[in-house]
Amino acid sequence: MLVSFLCIIMTIVSYIIAKFIYKKSKLFILSPLIVAPVLLSSCIILLGVDYTDYDKGGRWLTNMLQPAVVGFAVPLYKYRAVLKKHMRVILVSMTSGAIVALASSGIYAHLVHLKNDYLLSLLPRSVTTPIAMVISADIGGVPTMTAIFVIVTGICGLILGPIIIRFFHIREKLAKGLLLGMGAHGAGTSKALEFGTEEGAAASLAMVVAALLTLIFAPIITPFILL
Amino acid sequence: MIKVFKIVIQVAVLYFFAIIGNLLSLLLHLPISGSIIGMFIVFALLYFKILPISKIEMGASFLLAEMLLFFVPSAVGILQYKEAIFNYGTQFLLVICLSTITVMIVTGIVAERFSRQKERYR
Repeated sequence: MLVSFLCIIMTIVSYIIAKFIYKKSKLFILSPLIVAPVLLSSCIILLGVDYTDYDKGGRWLTNMLQPAVVGFAVPLYKYRAVLKKHMRVILVSMTSGAIVALASSGIYAHLVHLKNDYLLSLLPRSVTTPIAMVISADIGGVPTMTAIFVIVTGICGLILGPIIIRFFHIREKLAKGLLLGMGAHGAGTSKALEFGTEEGAAASLAMVVAALLTLIFAPIITPFILL
Repeated sequence: MIKVFKIVIQVAVLYFFAIIGNLLSLLLHLPISGSIIGMFIVFALLYFKILPISKIEMGASFLLAEMLLFFVPSAVGILQYKEAIFNYGTQFLLVICLSTITVMIVTGIVAERFSRQKERYR
């Protein structure tokens, strides 16, 4: 009990330190999602804490993802006007994006000869972590590995998104936001906000819609990928 | 201090809806996760003005802003998969990069084409 409590405190402290470092440096590679786990893992190893003991405390924090997902109702409600106005564009581009995300992850994973449990863990990588982890568990992947893949996807998207926007001459603000939110979930949304508020709104919307569509399509597409 | 108190209460409200969602998912054998069901319930309550947005906005913004914290324990879980990352790291990175590029190009081009088409017809 005491160990679990101390683990929670340790996690929060390393997160606060990591956030501070990110704010000061502004380097995407020093994202709190990279620095905090590194700090924390070093502490755990140095103190000789067993991972299963750590997880008893850590699970309390992971559980907070559930109300966070419920909280997505707020941006969805706030941007409902945007959603309604551009319904067709959003639905068509997001559906193609979500299907391509699942299929391409699977196809590329086959091409580099990855085992099935790794392949399945890669499939939901383009959506926000709590939902990606749920989908991963549903289709038979390893949720923890999926969480790591989601984080790597976010970092990739942050770097590649702006390059793709320039290279393919994407000019519509809606398209820029949708591309970033679909391709790189929350990380992409934060990048979109740097472009402007309209792009940011489109990206937050894309993040939620992508999560829902992936939730629907993942169980349908998975059997075809495993063929 | 009042702000902290408000956030705690609002987070509890959101958690309550997640629990309801989990119960519904379990009882009705739905393939959707409970938190997503909870999200739809809250969205419907907001939409039909049953639940005023002021009652949950602070809590929701807090959770979404600090969401990275809740991923930290899972990321520490990488310790369990040291070998996999060591052996397949390059493959994982390759798949993720290529797939992210593909997804972004497809989504961006489809959205761009469609929104321009719409303008032309107007």
